[in-house]
Amino acid sequence: MAASTSDVPVTHAPRVTGTRPRRPARRLTRERLVALGFIAPAVVLFAVFIVYPIVFNVQSSLLDWDGVSAGTPVGLDNYRDLFADPTFHTTLRNSAYWIVLTIVPQAALGFALAWLLNTRLRGRTVYRTLFFLPAVLSPVVVGIVWQRLLDPFNGVLAQLGRLTGIDVLTRSYLSDPSTAIFAVIVVNVWMWTGFSMLFYLAGLQLVDHSVVEAARIDGATGWQLIRRIVLPLLKPTHLALLLLGIIGSLKTFELVWVLTEGGPNHASELMPTYLFKQAFQLQSFGYGATIAVVLLVVAVGSSLAMLRTFGSGFITGDRS
Amino acid sequence: MTLPTTARRGIQAGLALCLGATMAACAGSADPEESADGGSGDGQTVSFRSWSPIEQTTRQMIDSFTEANPDVTIDSTIFNYPEYLVDLQTRASSGTMPDIVGLQPGALTQQYREKLMPLEECAARVWGDDWESKFHPVGLEQARMGNPEGDEHYYALPLLVQTVNLWANSELLDAAGVEPPATWDDLKAAVATLGDAGDAAPFLLPAKDGWLRNVVFLQIANNLEPGRVYQAENGEVPWTDARIVEAFDYWSRLFTEGIAQDGALALDSYPNGVNQFEAGNAAMIPLGAWWIQQSDPSKTEIPPLSDGMSGYEPFLFPTLPGGAPESQLVGGIDVALGISTDAANPDLACDVLTDWIAGDGAQVLINTFNDLPAVTGLDPEEFTSDKQEQIWTQLTQDWMPEVQWSRYFESPQIDTAVADALAGVAAGQLTPQQAAESVQAVQDQQG
Repeated sequence: MAASTSDVPVTHAPRVTGTRPRRPARRLTRERLVALGFIAPAVVLFAVFIVYPIVFNVQSSLLDWDGVSAGTPVGLDNYRDLFADPTFHTTLRNSAYWIVLTIVPQAALGFALAWLLNTRLRGRTVYRTLFFLPAVLSPVVVGIVWQRLLDPFNGVLAQLGRLTGIDVLTRSYLSDPSTAIFAVIVVNVWMWTGFSMLFYLAGLQLVDHSVVEAARIDGATGWQLIRRIVLPLLKPTHLALLLLGIIGSLKTFELVWVLTEGGPNHASELMPTYLFKQAFQLQSFGYGATIAVVLLVVAVGSSLAMLRTFGSGFITGDRS
Repeated sequence: MTLPTTARRGIQAGLALCLGATMAACAGSADPEESADGGSGDGQTVSFRSWSPIEQTTRQMIDSFTEANPDVTIDSTIFNYPEYLVDLQTRASSGTMPDIVGLQPGALTQQYREKLMPLEECAARVWGDDWESKFHPVGLEQARMGNPEGDEHYYALPLLVQTVNLWANSELLDAAGVEPPATWDDLKAAVATLGDAGDAAPFLLPAKDGWLRNVVFLQIANNLEPGRVYQAENGEVPWTDARIVEAFDYWSRLFTEGIAQDGALALDSYPNGVNQFEAGNAAMIPLGAWWIQQSDPSKTEIPPLSDGMSGYEPFLFPTLPGGAPESQLVGGIDVALGISTDAANPDLACDVLTDWIAGDGAQVLINTFNDLPAVTGLDPEEFTSDKQEQIWTQLTQDWMPEVQWSRYFESPQIDTAVADALAGVAAGQLTPQQAAESVQAVQDQQG
């Protein structure tokens, strides 16, 4: 055994004075080697699975490359082309729509469901399971089913619309460029609301009931209680869902691919679907890598912005 | 000396990036240790990856070969097409390309050309020097599509070929007293009659898929002015040529004149479009010769319409006013096979490939009616109905040998540009003229 815990008495010594006791260099080295040994697997995994792909992508983004043959260095041309590419502008606009129109409704609906199902409602366990069920389904299955539901020729909603005279149900939402992205967003909200509900249910279980009771005694009721007491206490849940929502929005692929393939005419294109088309269907791997780099910058940028705004402990509620 | 925290973090990040950069140094290089791990690495094992034929059929083809060659193992994986593209690209760039790969003609074959063996020697060894005479001409022509000038090698050989055409639900047409339309006016009249006759879609157009939009457009364009679109792709005429704009206009009229069903741009062909057609909810649909696979007798459950092809009839896209007097045949390769230059045992890979194209494996494949054989004279050993046999004969003997026009564009950029333009027209975002201009713009960008 190289070094037992008892051999390193100074490590956790209380700081009594301003001067630290000097540790022997040999012990320090051994201690550091042990520490490095512990973190080495994580560092290697990080290097192989995070750093390497990022650097590879950045390098690829500077090439005119089909992903197989030898690439040609083109400097920043791919970036110049990408920022002038109208389809890329569409993907940015759609990402903005996606972030706003999924996170807010999902949170609102998720909270409403959680609030209701946190009461002594009969069959609440069944309801919780039912509302959470879409979140565990494959997006491919959800996409195929919703494509059939929304089919204006023979879909369930269209048939219902014809029977009831509600014309809005018979519209062709997925094939209309002006509505396609919103139709996909609605399906996404349907799919993930149960996930938000679960987060809020967990949050509500952790709310200090004495605070709620105190508020009730002070006369807070209904919406007042929710708005002034419960929602502020659930701040860590809101922020966790916000962060997960932004990251999830930026990497959404399957649902869009199955429902619209980013169409019609790129109207519902998102960065991941456009990236896939460029890299693997159009054999423009370098251009696809450029989209991946921009996607990474946007994702890291938004995460850092959140950390800077709310602090690193915002998810756990640790105010320090 | 103690470095400030920020400096230490900077150094750590720099080291991590350097490590990553060292590891990623091969990005964009052509052949990183190309054949080190390529192929199966075992002289009696052949690896095969593709998106077609389907898993069950491939298994039967493998069994057929390994029964005759018990010391051989074939390691096969069948993917969905998008996943296959990712797998193939990853393997090709990492030197682990499978021995035999499924390919589409044109861009996909050309992308991997440098990693594929020329197959003439293999073909001549197994089939003799006149081996080319075994194949449908359009299949061989497309196998070399996109080769550099002067390169006459075959880097892929067709396994299955097909026509693209329309299919009618003959029960619905008979009930409405309608014949499969031969002209544009017939088509409009048939749609009107069928629309009044019941709830089924007269003309179900699963236009969500770019490939389907393109094959319908190619049928229209070739019926208007045979061969003009390929001239446009070659730069001999502009995409804004009046006949091509007119072809975009006819595509547009499928939507504006109510021929296609509502929401056509949201309907995919597989699974939703074909499910509706097979369930009897549509009278006509644009697909291709492969639809005959619905009557594969080895299937456990066959819907009534598909049983022996009893409810279907193939026909060609109607002729158009002022266009060619006869409907043109458009088609080509469904799937082709190539052999990796890294194959550990190229002769064995050649034996497998030729067996599947024209040997016992091919017979097993064709017995499932998966699509049309790339070689002539190969028929299923058993037909389940006279109608099935009659349709098979029509497809393989009347149509396939006469296919003159390709169902593919050579360039994936043009393929996508046309598909996008067609979606824009169908959605009302582009006029036919603007659609043609958008394709020309992409062509101009390519130089």
